[in-house]
Amino acid sequence: MYTPIYLGKSRASLGWALFFSGVLSISGCASTEPVRKAAKAAPVQVTPVDPYEGFNRSMYGFNMGMDKYLLKPVADGYRFITPNFMQTGVSNFFNNLKGINVVLNDLLQGKFEQGASDTGRFLTNSTIGVLGLFDVASDLGLDSNVEDFGQTLAVWGVDQGPYLVLPLLGPTTVRDGGAIIVDKAANPDTYVPGTGILEGINDRANAEGALNFIDEAALDPYVFTRESFLQYRNNLINDGKADIDDLDLDVDAAFDDEVVTTDSKKKVKSKPANGEVSSQLDGGGISPAYSPTIEAFDSMSKSFDDALLAFEQASAKMDELSKKKRRFRRR
Amino acid sequence: MLRKIYFGLSILLLIFLSPLALAEEVSARQVAEEFQDKLIEVMKQGKALGFQGRYEQLDAAVKKSHDLPKIARIVVGKQWEELTSAQQVKLEEDFSRLSVSAYAHNFKDYSGESFSFISEEETGRGGVVVHTNLKIPGEKDVKFDYMMKKKDDGWQIINIIADGVSDLALKRSDYTSVLSREGFDALIAKINEKIESYAK
Repeated sequence: MYTPIYLGKSRASLGWALFFSGVLSISGCASTEPVRKAAKAAPVQVTPVDPYEGFNRSMYGFNMGMDKYLLKPVADGYRFITPNFMQTGVSNFFNNLKGINVVLNDLLQGKFEQGASDTGRFLTNSTIGVLGLFDVASDLGLDSNVEDFGQTLAVWGVDQGPYLVLPLLGPTTVRDGGAIIVDKAANPDTYVPGTGILEGINDRANAEGALNFIDEAALDPYVFTRESFLQYRNNLINDGKADIDDLDLDVDAAFDDEVVTTDSKKKVKSKPANGEVSSQLDGGGISPAYSPTIEAFDSMSKSFDDALLAFEQASAKMDELSKKKRRFRRR
Repeated sequence: MLRKIYFGLSILLLIFLSPLALAEEVSARQVAEEFQDKLIEVMKQGKALGFQGRYEQLDAAVKKSHDLPKIARIVVGKQWEELTSAQQVKLEEDFSRLSVSAYAHNFKDYSGESFSFISEEETGRGGVVVHTNLKIPGEKDVKFDYMMKKKDDGWQIINIIADGVSDLALKRSDYTSVLSREGFDALIAKINEKIESYAK
């Protein structure tokens, strides 16, 4: 019971949001609004959170495979050879560059006071903090805020859209996936070739704590990741001011409307899982217009499954080869 | 004479009211704070105790402050009704062990963390949410909100929301997913796998 993800020494909370995907510094954003609506009045459930679960699951598998064979070894190497204070410096540096985008989105969301504070933060760290390598502003009481265009869209009332797991980019939603373009455009390091790779390695290294936590706690890591990602994003959108009665409803829904809630949830879940989505549309739930999209996603997911398989086979072969080599040497 | 009667009455009144007053005293806030104190205490001796030691220390505290049977019910959702009573008992037992193990694993050492109470809020449906902050030196505070419900004569935790992430909602999605995709035996097997890896 309970999720002490943030207890790690690393900036796990950041890593959490970026999950794996942090790798390319995603900025997704999601409101769990549809989930809540579902809890309150199940029949109205029009927007299932995860209609492409089949596709997403294989993409998740692909990403985890890439992580295991490529990204984690690189990040581990980085953490091994880089002194702690340098890792902090690198993290601070990239965080500071995001500051411009944070201010922009503060203003777009009408948070002028926070925008002023974040502007001060950016200026302080860029000057006294030596180009952002040192986070002086936090010590001066200018706390960092996490804002991005996905959150701005949410504040403007754009629906989160279906949950998506993108290759390499990781968890996001349709709305947030699109919003990344703006975030990237407002980040100076986009215009300096090569920095993205260092940033990616750094983000992956920072996400280590969160990833380990998921590994330890999750029975179904895919679902665990999805739920925590969506909840975390939702919390960012609300700036941590969740409605207490919503939380209460969340619990009570599990009792009072237990039958209704889980029913509707099941419907959503079983569909992509069974594969034969189009034949199962029993009114309500997903509209038929979705099904060709889902099929397209499914066929795409197959090719990613194949890619992962090929990857695993290649790595197995490499292992064998290196074993043979060792044996050879011993002789 | 009249005075004596008054005196007697007032004593009687005191005797009758005192259990009420005592019962009233253990508020939701106190339950949460008592549990947090215990956590910090265990963290402080965490290394010396080892996993087994921490488990033993926390076992009673977690079971007292959390309504684990109710939580175990919620996390499997509607499918609770479809389980046999033997399965329900098994789930409750293993889930309790998992919960305590998770605490024992995650609160293993101490580096200056402290909890502080912020506020208490009543929800629409007779619950109470206790807002607290976890201060970690050198890091941003983490908000811990305890959702509590009255059970028998005291308050018990049924959900913990850490920085907006609801543990109960997370677990419910996780457990119902495994249950509907792979069945009850797989769920129990996975829970025990987790308990083992926590103990390492």
